[in-house]
Amino acid sequence: MGNLRIGQIVEAALWITLVIFLFAYSFEFDREIEIYKYGAAAWPRAILLLIFIAALGQLLQQWYRGDEASSDMMEKAAEDGAHEAAEEAHHNTLAWYLYTFAISVIPFAYILVPDWIAAAMGLEKPGLHVAKLAVAALLLVLFIILVRGNQLGGMIALPVLFAAMMQDLGFYALAPFFIMAVMYLMGERRFGRMLIISAGIYAVLLALFVSVLYVGLPTGNISPFYEFGTGMVTILQ
Amino acid sequence: MDTFNNFLNGTVTLFSDPIGILIFLGGVVGGMLFGAIPGVSMLTLAAILLPFTAHLSPEHGIMLFSVIYCTGVYGGAITAILFNIPGAPENAPTAFDGYPMTRNGQAGKAVGAAVMCSALGGTVSAVIMMIATAPIANWAIRSFGPPEIFALVFFGLAVASSVGARTFWKGWLSILVGLLIAIVGLDPVGGIERWDFNMPYLLAGIHFIPAILGFFAVSEIFVQAEKKVTGSYRAPELSVDFPSLAELIAHKFAVIRSILIGFFCGILPGIGATLAAFMGYNEAVRWSKDRSEFGKGKMEGVISSETANNAATGAAMIPLLALGLPGGALTAMMVGVFQMHDMEPGPLVFINSADLVWVVFSAMFFANLSILLIGWLETKTIINLLRIPFQFLAPLILCLATVGSYAVRGLTIDIIVMFIAGVVGFFLRRSGYSLAGIVLGLILGRIGEQTFAQAMQMLHFEWSGFFGRPIALALLVAGFATLAGSIYGAFFRRRH
Repeated sequence: MGNLRIGQIVEAALWITLVIFLFAYSFEFDREIEIYKYGAAAWPRAILLLIFIAALGQLLQQWYRGDEASSDMMEKAAEDGAHEAAEEAHHNTLAWYLYTFAISVIPFAYILVPDWIAAAMGLEKPGLHVAKLAVAALLLVLFIILVRGNQLGGMIALPVLFAAMMQDLGFYALAPFFIMAVMYLMGERRFGRMLIISAGIYAVLLALFVSVLYVGLPTGNISPFYEFGTGMVTILQ
Repeated sequence: MDTFNNFLNGTVTLFSDPIGILIFLGGVVGGMLFGAIPGVSMLTLAAILLPFTAHLSPEHGIMLFSVIYCTGVYGGAITAILFNIPGAPENAPTAFDGYPMTRNGQAGKAVGAAVMCSALGGTVSAVIMMIATAPIANWAIRSFGPPEIFALVFFGLAVASSVGARTFWKGWLSILVGLLIAIVGLDPVGGIERWDFNMPYLLAGIHFIPAILGFFAVSEIFVQAEKKVTGSYRAPELSVDFPSLAELIAHKFAVIRSILIGFFCGILPGIGATLAAFMGYNEAVRWSKDRSEFGKGKMEGVISSETANNAATGAAMIPLLALGLPGGALTAMMVGVFQMHDMEPGPLVFINSADLVWVVFSAMFFANLSILLIGWLETKTIINLLRIPFQFLAPLILCLATVGSYAVRGLTIDIIVMFIAGVVGFFLRRSGYSLAGIVLGLILGRIGEQTFAQAMQMLHFEWSGFFGRPIALALLVAGFATLAGSIYGAFFRRRH
């Protein structure tokens, strides 16, 4: 007994916060349905209740029995080295989580900040585009600085950043840089190889999906990225 | 005789269609390849392909997935044996004795045993599947209404919660998260929007394809990235040759036992190939006269695990096709393939599209058989592809996932959702939660709520109505018993 670690308490707290948050929002749709006595909110609330119980049950068990798996078989079957890798790399400290969280905020900053600026300054579309490009450049510099001390954090945030920028800057212009950045964050340092293989992956993707399957990937909507994207589509199709 | 004729018809349909053959071969090789490459699994491949099955006919789509299932379950055996890196959880027990065999210089024998037993277990399972599925579907049509389906979903999820995660609580939480994600969007009875936070995107619900791609393809990359950073990732090395047939015949009892275990594990919703492999291995140890030899390179260990996991593949198709209930992550994705073609898997598939069912059945039969041939080829040639360093594979997989999630509806926000799902999945996985559980919950959530509502309307909101329906009652009781047993075990069972 008394085996709780900080991480386990945080874990339970996160679950319970989620439950309270979603429960509060469930009043927005707590309406009756004529043909269904329980209404629209009954099922979601039942699930929330179960999550609440399970989170408390887990905490209770951890307090009572420590952090052991439910059975040997479950322990082995759930084993994929993810947990051990985290411990080995000391990626389970509070500092690491906060650091990673800080990097992960960057993509969301890109989604939100330009709109705030545009709203505050009353910018029209061209102004908004300039604001987006400026914010993007700033955030990229910030990202590169932050990633130097936390490569895995960078690896986690990078795809979200890539996706967040894609609406504006397009797949065609961003993908080559994205591919190279992933290689770099996975530990590759030989730039010649990175260039050649990135070009290869980029070419295969475009040939297969754009030329053969006619998947119209996002072209972006900010000049000159938009022109580049549409230009690529015209050439390829 | 009917079954045999249907099987012949299915075979002819399958192999008289050049595109079908191409897809079949692609599935066989792809499943094996992704099963074998450490860091990706057949689920990665299936997740990447899922959005593009919209361009295929339903037969081809389901057939492709079933073929990937058969060969993917086998593919991970090779890396488990040679490098002690199981390609997927279902091959983990194979490594217990397979890797020691490699260190004893018997790698070839272990691989050969895995190839033959996978093919054998899978083929036998496919035959039983062909014979058993149609009668079960017929029975289900007559005796399954919404209360029974709801009870079955509940039972399936209860069983699934006790498998796959590190603890029972984590298993339950995983499934509940899946159920939670399924709630977002319009409610299935009155069409009332739930948890949309005034975002039009969320009105349609979170699409299962970006979610599946994120949980399986993206989170895997992050896990590998972490291993890479710590330097525990190793590039594979190779050595191969083969055992004699007589040695395999000497283990006939292990094979038969594992086929039975694998089949029963496969047919239960929520268990599937992973537990089949572990049970097969555990039973082999329990029945053995000299238990101390296990774990030191006993061929019976490899045989038991590999026979059992492939024997589960055919069995897993029975609840999917006869009842419409997926038992694991891959069969859950097959439900996705059905849904993209506006079809619901279930007993009616047998009546409305018997052709599809039999093409799939014969494809699975031949996919398992082909493990013998292509398994041999794999060890000679394809395995060299494993030398591709993961840092070059990772961007390719991430880009494929990006294109895949965008292609579904043409929304960039789907890509963002996918990557966020990847991040969430990564952290949940590190903490011992089960991603397969989340996906099962996600896929079964809507079916569960819908059938619950229908059942309640049918029973006039009287819960006691379940007592008048023996099948539903039995399933509910079994589900509650499973949960109660797990909770009891969590607090009171002594482990050594």
